[in-house]
Amino acid sequence: MSGNHFPKITLWRTIVVLIFAAGAYAAYARFALGFQQSTNLVDAQPWGLWVGLGTLGGVGISAGGFAIAAAVYLLGFERYRQVVRAAVLLSFLGYLTVVVGMMYELGLPWRIWHPIVMWNRKSVLFEVSWCVMLYTSVLTLEFSPALVEKIPWVRIRQTYLSWHHEILIGLVLVGAVLSSLHQSFLGGLYLLAKGKVDPLWYSQYLPSLFYLSAVPAGLAATIMVVFLSMRSLNARVSPSVLTEMSQVIAPLLYVYALFRGIDLFTHGGWSYMWMWREETLLFWLEIGLFVLAPIILLSREKIRTNPQYLYWTCSLVVMGFISNRLNVAVTAFQRSSGFYYVPKWTEFALTFATVAAAAVAFHYAVLYLDILPKAAPRKAQLMQRVATA
Amino acid sequence: MAKTKAILIDITKCIGCRSCEHACKEIHGFPPDSEQKLSPTAFTIVEERGDRFVRRMCMNCQDPACASACLVGALKKTELGPVTYDSSKCIGCRYCLVACPFNVPRYQWSKLVPFVTKCDMCYERQAKGQLPACVEACPVQASIAGWRDEILEEAQRRVLLDPKYVKRIYGSEEAGGTSVFFISDVPFEKLGFNTVPNQPMPVLTANALGDVPTVVLVGGSLLAGVYWITNRRKQVAMAEAREKAAGSTSGESERS
Repeated sequence: MSGNHFPKITLWRTIVVLIFAAGAYAAYARFALGFQQSTNLVDAQPWGLWVGLGTLGGVGISAGGFAIAAAVYLLGFERYRQVVRAAVLLSFLGYLTVVVGMMYELGLPWRIWHPIVMWNRKSVLFEVSWCVMLYTSVLTLEFSPALVEKIPWVRIRQTYLSWHHEILIGLVLVGAVLSSLHQSFLGGLYLLAKGKVDPLWYSQYLPSLFYLSAVPAGLAATIMVVFLSMRSLNARVSPSVLTEMSQVIAPLLYVYALFRGIDLFTHGGWSYMWMWREETLLFWLEIGLFVLAPIILLSREKIRTNPQYLYWTCSLVVMGFISNRLNVAVTAFQRSSGFYYVPKWTEFALTFATVAAAAVAFHYAVLYLDILPKAAPRKAQLMQRVATA
Repeated sequence: MAKTKAILIDITKCIGCRSCEHACKEIHGFPPDSEQKLSPTAFTIVEERGDRFVRRMCMNCQDPACASACLVGALKKTELGPVTYDSSKCIGCRYCLVACPFNVPRYQWSKLVPFVTKCDMCYERQAKGQLPACVEACPVQASIAGWRDEILEEAQRRVLLDPKYVKRIYGSEEAGGTSVFFISDVPFEKLGFNTVPNQPMPVLTANALGDVPTVVLVGGSLLAGVYWITNRRKQVAMAEAREKAAGSTSGESERS
């Protein structure tokens, strides 16, 4: 050790610290000053960025965990085993951001436990809240071995791990069912707002559409974090696994596009697709990012086999997915509400700070836990590089 | 549902005196100044639309979207008809605001402990047999209250007998029927009334929620079945490999 204890100042560290600082002020604004000072939400737009990006986006992006876990443990796709922990960790952190998000999104967050004892079985949100509670617990259990195996006491470790081995299949199965339910029910929330949601997004099949879009988005996000871990965190996954995953995304996007197209055609949204309106532009942005561009890009061998290109393509899928959720949550209501909602900077700050915290947690988890197969230690690599230079 | 209460608002009779607004504010202890829009301190307001006055308030739907939306059941359709709000249950998710087809509930955005606010047709007064405060205050009986079937009959009678009325009772079918009815001599679209689907809104989500057991059973057993197959295959493959190994090195395996 050189005795230099002050962490090195890098660009990313600076950015993260700035985001946290902004988030800290935004949290102060939200809790000490209230919604009016910290958000641009109004009665006509009671759900904004926090719901659209934080909750709908966050849960959707976290769909990779159940999909990959089911693929490996239930369907026997052994090849994906090397990324299953990364996928589960991404989902776990994703759901934690959603739960943390609830703390500032809800008006009375200290009552977050109410749905446990106060039931309304007719409410889609009630079902969502239970699924999210249960699935977050499932994810905690699914992820727990990565932490437990670092416990120095052999007896506790082995007892826990063998118990975990017993229940794992059950966990994965329950997780897949719970995920399928609430991924779709997040879309189901908007069924009730018939007449208020723009025809480009309203459909009685919103639940199915939400489900069908969450799975490819979750897989794309998983590819992204695996790639970043390989690039910056010394993880070593065979690139062909990423290629194989991308070959699953493309058909899923086809299915989604087909379903969405048929739905728009049969529900009368078709005519709105060609109107000159802001909604239509944002609709095409969403379709372009989420469906058209990725389908074209993923059809090319050169893109599929190059992790770097694949990463950028997946980021399009994720951005397109986020656009979809924001469109449903915000754009689709603009006309009916007559209110043009633009989030306040503090709304962005809190959401970004939450996501940044998850990213930092992911970073250190990959560094210090056994999340992904690791390449030779950095020092050795450096030495090698020095030697060859 | 048993007999429920309702209010009829006859737009042709309203003189715009705002007595209803004031009575409402008084009974709830709100500051007395008149407001332009529904707010946490104005559960009913009178809007000027051309030379007509249109009163706004919660429609207290027969099958309310808000009550089906509320995950903790803070909003409830009472036996008597009013849709009430139990602030002690509310967690502040605001799904009721998203769900309401009439855009009625208001949130206390400026408060640090914010609640949802809306008219509940003076549930407590009505339970005691009194009229809603706004109805009682109306000097020209532009608003009347009573049992829903009788009030609806009265509305129909007026619309049928007097040709000046538009042949429509707003609230009789909207969102599957409400507890507040409007009749008018000017088309409702011109008075700023929402076009609302003629179906009880909770039906829209009931179907999706009805699919839960199917998803759980079919999805769960499908996955379990696939797992059984993959697991079986794995076992067979392992057994075969073991046999093969045993066949090629039988001497060694016997010893171990």
